[in-house]
Amino acid sequence: MSKFLENLGSIDRRYIFLIIAIVVFLPLIFPLGLPVEPTNLTIDAFNAVDNIPKNEKVLVSFDYGPSTKPEIHPMAIAVLRHLFTKGNRVIITCLWPDGLFMARQALQQVAIEEFDLTYGVDYCNLGYRPGNEAVIKGITRSFPANFTVDSRAIKIKEIPLMDGVQSLKNIGFIFSLSAGYPGSKEWVQYASDPLKIKTSTGVTSIQVNEILPFVKSGQLQGIVAGMPGAAEYEQLLVNNDIHPVIGKAGKSMDAQSIAHLVIVLFIVIGNISYFVKRKKEKKY
Amino acid sequence: MSFGNIFGAWVSVFLTLAILSYLYKDNPFYKVAEHIYVGVSAAYWGTIAFWNQVWPNLFGRLWPYVDDQSTLSKFNQFWYKIYNGLHWFSHNVFPENGIPGDQQQNLWYIIAFFLGLFMLARLIPSINWLGRWSLAYVVGMAAGLRIYGFMSSNVIAQIHGSLLPLWGESLGTVINNLVLIVGTVTGLFYFFFSVEHKGIFGKISRVGIHFLMISFGASFGFAVMGRISLLIGRFNKLIEYSHKQYGYATLILLVAMVATLLILNLKKTEEVTE
Repeated sequence: MSKFLENLGSIDRRYIFLIIAIVVFLPLIFPLGLPVEPTNLTIDAFNAVDNIPKNEKVLVSFDYGPSTKPEIHPMAIAVLRHLFTKGNRVIITCLWPDGLFMARQALQQVAIEEFDLTYGVDYCNLGYRPGNEAVIKGITRSFPANFTVDSRAIKIKEIPLMDGVQSLKNIGFIFSLSAGYPGSKEWVQYASDPLKIKTSTGVTSIQVNEILPFVKSGQLQGIVAGMPGAAEYEQLLVNNDIHPVIGKAGKSMDAQSIAHLVIVLFIVIGNISYFVKRKKEKKY
Repeated sequence: MSFGNIFGAWVSVFLTLAILSYLYKDNPFYKVAEHIYVGVSAAYWGTIAFWNQVWPNLFGRLWPYVDDQSTLSKFNQFWYKIYNGLHWFSHNVFPENGIPGDQQQNLWYIIAFFLGLFMLARLIPSINWLGRWSLAYVVGMAAGLRIYGFMSSNVIAQIHGSLLPLWGESLGTVINNLVLIVGTVTGLFYFFFSVEHKGIFGKISRVGIHFLMISFGASFGFAVMGRISLLIGRFNKLIEYSHKQYGYATLILLVAMVATLLILNLKKTEEVTE
């Protein structure tokens, strides 16, 4: 038995890759329907969006690309559904060039196909501007100076939704969909904190530890953390009769949960094997 | 389903499987995907930087579109003659009468233009020292821009956020606040290097190490969660592209790649045996 446990520690890592692939793949084909329980951080973000007054203009920043789409895109869809159901008008900006394509996809699905909204009146996409945090700093003073035209090359002054929006001071709420730099942290540093604009965020899992202190200090209103956070937000939309079914993130959570269980199992086995080996080495 | 969508699906499946094949071992499929990735990334970022940054923000401010060059001031007529030279060089990059858009002319951007040229001078050894001026500008500007935001949000607001009540709240909140305060203080002790970490100071900094360990563990957990999410995203796409409407792209490419890798492996084994 001890020999078997010892050998487990030096198993070819390709078997581990194969097992992970199988345990991720199978629940996607045969869903188990494990429950998704919203956590406080996601509930805080949901409530922050829910408390935005009707007709308030909300800025949603698409600061991610295809590489993090599985994590962030479901939350983008969920947040847009929530905002449009409430009757908020949405202005979109992108600090990442790929964010423009993500925003177009999300708007096509939610604003056009699901809600049949009017471009320029209910929502508009200002598109990508290079400059990272300098763009945020710039729009705290003036939108027209930084965005002369939107992503469809329509002049900003000809977009009805932008009437009366001179700078970020005229925006009621910011939601940052962030996969790194520039992203949530920069929105806090250059917009939310200086102008005292309520801000919430949806981030990749790997960023959560970095962004969490801003939530704990009240600089951010909740956080939607990775794919599980997106699944929780989708569940909250269902629980509050905003949307009838859960989305892509919720459907992927079976695979995520099973994979985590297997990884924990591997860590336990790896540790047992290590201690057995160490005990044997000490003995001789 | 258009041909473009089907072709895109096949390319996507091939590149995904090629990258994942590295988990088996280094192989020609992975090499192909790796080289395509490097080449496409360089071209993509180069194009984005030029058309979104240099073209509208630099050239667009130096030579914004004008209806009629003859109505301009004497200086600007001369200035636009330089542009006409560029227009002769490339009609697509420099269209007639200036860069379209809604930009106002701002000749201060000539400094940015020269700083950009100086950066390129780093490629010529005899004048590469000019690049230091551009770098000095970038470093100075970035430091100046970031210091306020960092001090305000990451230092002052975080100190304010850690001033938490230790009584008058529910027991759970008090315990949470206590853990946060102890973790912050002991963590800061650990990073204080002016005193040797011995005695009571050493014990406090050791507590700080444990808090840091827990933080690293949480980071690792989140990293695993993120990577599994991305794997799920790719698997979802592979499943979608395995359907009939995409010509069974996933199944065909998977079988073809596994078979090729097996043949290559067999050949290599034979060569070693001989």
